[in-house]
Amino acid sequence: MIENRPVLAFLTHLVLIVGVVIVVFPVYLAFVASTHGSGDFMRGLVPLLPGPHLIENYSFMLNEGISSAGAPPLWIMLLNSLVMAISIAVGKIIISILSAYAIVFFRFPFRMVAFWIIFITLMLPVEVRIIPTFKVVADLGMLNSYPGLIIPLIASATATFLFRQFFLTVPDELMEAARVDGAGAMKFFRDILLPLSRTNIAALFVILFIYGWVQYLWPLLVTTDSRYYTIVMGIKRLAATADSEPQWNFVMAAVMLAMLPPVLVVIFMQRLFVKGLVETEK
Amino acid sequence: MQAKRTTFPNKFLPYWLLVPQLAVTLIFFIWPAVQALKSSFEREDPFGFKTTFVWFENYRRLLIDPMYVGSLGKTAVFAFSVTALSMSLSLILAVAVNRVLRSNRAYTTLLVWPYAVAPVVVGILWWFMFNPTIGIAPYLLRGMGIDWNHRVDGNQAMIFVVMAASWKQISYNFLFFVAGLQSVPQSQIEAAAIDGAGPFKRFWTIVFPLLAPTTFFLLIVNINYAMFDTFGIIDATTQGGPAQATNILVYKVYTDGFLGLNIGSSSAQSVILMIIVIALTAIQFRYVERRIQY
Amino acid sequence: MATINIVDLQKNYGPVPAVKGINLSVEDGELIVLVGPSGCGKSTLLRMVAGLESVTSGRIEIAGRDVVKAEPAERDIAMVFQNYALYPHMTVRGNLEYGLKNRGTPRAEIDRRVQEAADILEIGPLLDRKPRQLSGGQRQRVAMGRAIVREPAAFLFDEPLSNLDAKLRVQMRVEIRKLQRRLKTTSLYVTHDQLEAMTLADRLVVMNGGLVEQIGTPTDVYDRPATLFVAGFIGSPPMNLVPLSAFSGADFSALPPNTDIVGIRPDALLLERPEGPSVMIEAIAELLEPIGGESHLHVKLTGSNQSMVLSIQGRPHVDEGAALTIFARPADLHPFNSATGRRTDDPATA
Repeated sequence: MIENRPVLAFLTHLVLIVGVVIVVFPVYLAFVASTHGSGDFMRGLVPLLPGPHLIENYSFMLNEGISSAGAPPLWIMLLNSLVMAISIAVGKIIISILSAYAIVFFRFPFRMVAFWIIFITLMLPVEVRIIPTFKVVADLGMLNSYPGLIIPLIASATATFLFRQFFLTVPDELMEAARVDGAGAMKFFRDILLPLSRTNIAALFVILFIYGWVQYLWPLLVTTDSRYYTIVMGIKRLAATADSEPQWNFVMAAVMLAMLPPVLVVIFMQRLFVKGLVETEK
Repeated sequence: MQAKRTTFPNKFLPYWLLVPQLAVTLIFFIWPAVQALKSSFEREDPFGFKTTFVWFENYRRLLIDPMYVGSLGKTAVFAFSVTALSMSLSLILAVAVNRVLRSNRAYTTLLVWPYAVAPVVVGILWWFMFNPTIGIAPYLLRGMGIDWNHRVDGNQAMIFVVMAASWKQISYNFLFFVAGLQSVPQSQIEAAAIDGAGPFKRFWTIVFPLLAPTTFFLLIVNINYAMFDTFGIIDATTQGGPAQATNILVYKVYTDGFLGLNIGSSSAQSVILMIIVIALTAIQFRYVERRIQY
Repeated sequence: MATINIVDLQKNYGPVPAVKGINLSVEDGELIVLVGPSGCGKSTLLRMVAGLESVTSGRIEIAGRDVVKAEPAERDIAMVFQNYALYPHMTVRGNLEYGLKNRGTPRAEIDRRVQEAADILEIGPLLDRKPRQLSGGQRQRVAMGRAIVREPAAFLFDEPLSNLDAKLRVQMRVEIRKLQRRLKTTSLYVTHDQLEAMTLADRLVVMNGGLVEQIGTPTDVYDRPATLFVAGFIGSPPMNLVPLSAFSGADFSALPPNTDIVGIRPDALLLERPEGPSVMIEAIAELLEPIGGESHLHVKLTGSNQSMVLSIQGRPHVDEGAALTIFARPADLHPFNSATGRRTDDPATA
């Protein structure tokens, strides 16, 4: 900030406010819609101010849902999403930290081969291998189950690389001192490396939780039993009724609920979130 | 490749440590990918009894299929537009937030949270806004004399999904641009100021070139995002329509494979997508190595 | 008896030899210093003794046992690292206890040893702090404490003072020496600083290019350097090493026949004729550097481009450019042969 030009400062704030409005407006509209009664949309215009039906709408969706749309009560879907997101985050972290440990702190034949196999997963997002992966999961009898939702998404190259990068910065002497102190490989891992990795693990957890929560295509393919629907995937069924206009107030209540957990996580753990984002992309 | 100067002497432990990741990778990534490759060279007869090896027939058919070529074109337009729109908006916002000292944290918090919104939810939000019947945007546009119905007008549909997809990416690009801007040495900016350059000139001649690594990186990431992570947005809004107007490659793989049950063609499409991802990743990683030097 | 015996120890990195066959016997309770320039192999040697570096061939015997195949933890050694290597997330007490806990030492014994080490090193008040709250000197003491509580057969020091500022380094040097004398633990100490080596060692091992140049007490190594390298490495300012051909007129006929380089310490070059026999050297004064209690005088030999440095007590009055006669006693002359690099008056290897 060199010159002090009030015009520029005003412009800057204007730009930022416009940006915030662009970013917040769609969600604001949704929130407003979720607080209105069912009939309020018949007039063909969307209300711009909140209505009185907030608690009513939300508790209805949470407890009963719109069975005509084939979606179960929201609390079931929220639970599924929660289980899926947490399991994916935890699973990815455990698997990746072990792999990164192996690759960095040991020398063994095929070490590079293992590294490249892991690297390949970066180039194979779900969208690119949907049908054969679906077939494998079906053959293994894992459709409509938590393992089916979780395990195929659990191998992650980004987490492994993040840990690998971090492990490379751990001073050699720390590990040597531990060896002299009688710590074997797993003891060193548990007593020294893990505590040092705490912030990285936390940052990664934030990113991976969001990743697991927002999964759409995969749960869509793998679940036909509505008891296993995740909220992100179930919502679309609510919004896409073919014959009539969807009941927007209820749909928007569901939308707000679907957005809430990850957004809360980002807002309250913003520093960890930013760190996780930046670190995993280097 | 780098390893520590001292390593643990265990012979078998490293293999055990790698088993979980390698197992999942082999079973759910590599094997399916191989299967996709294999199926792309085959054709299943309508009753599912016989599969014949047909060499590159599936690929040939794709490349002369006007719908597929159209899809390629649509995807390119889509990816390019989303990238351009999202990156420019976030750059402006990042520059703005960098100039503001006190409310910096507040603005940042308000601008980054869309990252956490699922693409399909983004689609629903925008669908709600642009719904021809009750959406607020068509209402305003009608007031300006524009008749909005993206269910019928292909161009409007494309504009619509581009806007929705860009909206979601703003926060991601914003974060990285902010980080990139902060790494521009203050001393260079000050030297330029002393040399008589005003703020706009300083930005274009000093800051923007120094931002090139970040920009290039985001370019690749955004193209990747537009091509693959936007499935939910398309599914929630246009389902590839109207009349294939927004049927981007990743969506077509789904419709042809799952809904159309044309395994051979869908596998071939998957393989082509794989090749594109590999190319993008290769560029990204080649480039990331060089990012350090400037 | 915690002796260390190193026999024909070799280490190759692929085709490149780093340590080329070292033999060394360390007596119980001795403090041996490995000293030499960067890359001479001293750290590699130490790390092989510690078990952190694999051995290409040779034997390492600690307290009579060949430990070449043993893990570091099984060798009954403790190590003090250059960067302290303290566990950052543990308290000082945690750092001290870690090694003992891993060995299943009973709680009471752990507490006793930790307290004893804390007393010796005067770090008692620091026991509940984390390493990042400590100063460099305090961290170094904790690192030593970690070694002491193990009560090992030998201490291994890997340039422990290199990260400290000069003043602290002098202070810690004295502490290490006193500590080692008190505990009487056999110690191997690596440093590149020849002054540190001279003040700490019972015996020095001067290394260069993977080989041992000389083993001896500091006095031995100072008074009778066996090779040109040792002569130029030990002592500050370094010994003047001058080819005989650079002297015009001085009489060096008393030196052994193979000699073509002679070494004279700066403090052995005198401006006034001493009693007894002496050699005369003609030179021209170039630069006088007064350094407090003494002065360094840089001269150039008459009739040649060769320079020498004199170390003189007090502040003599010498004009720059003046012609001087410099004296040296024959006993202070160190004769070398530049081809072999060795002393020529050594009956064993002339």
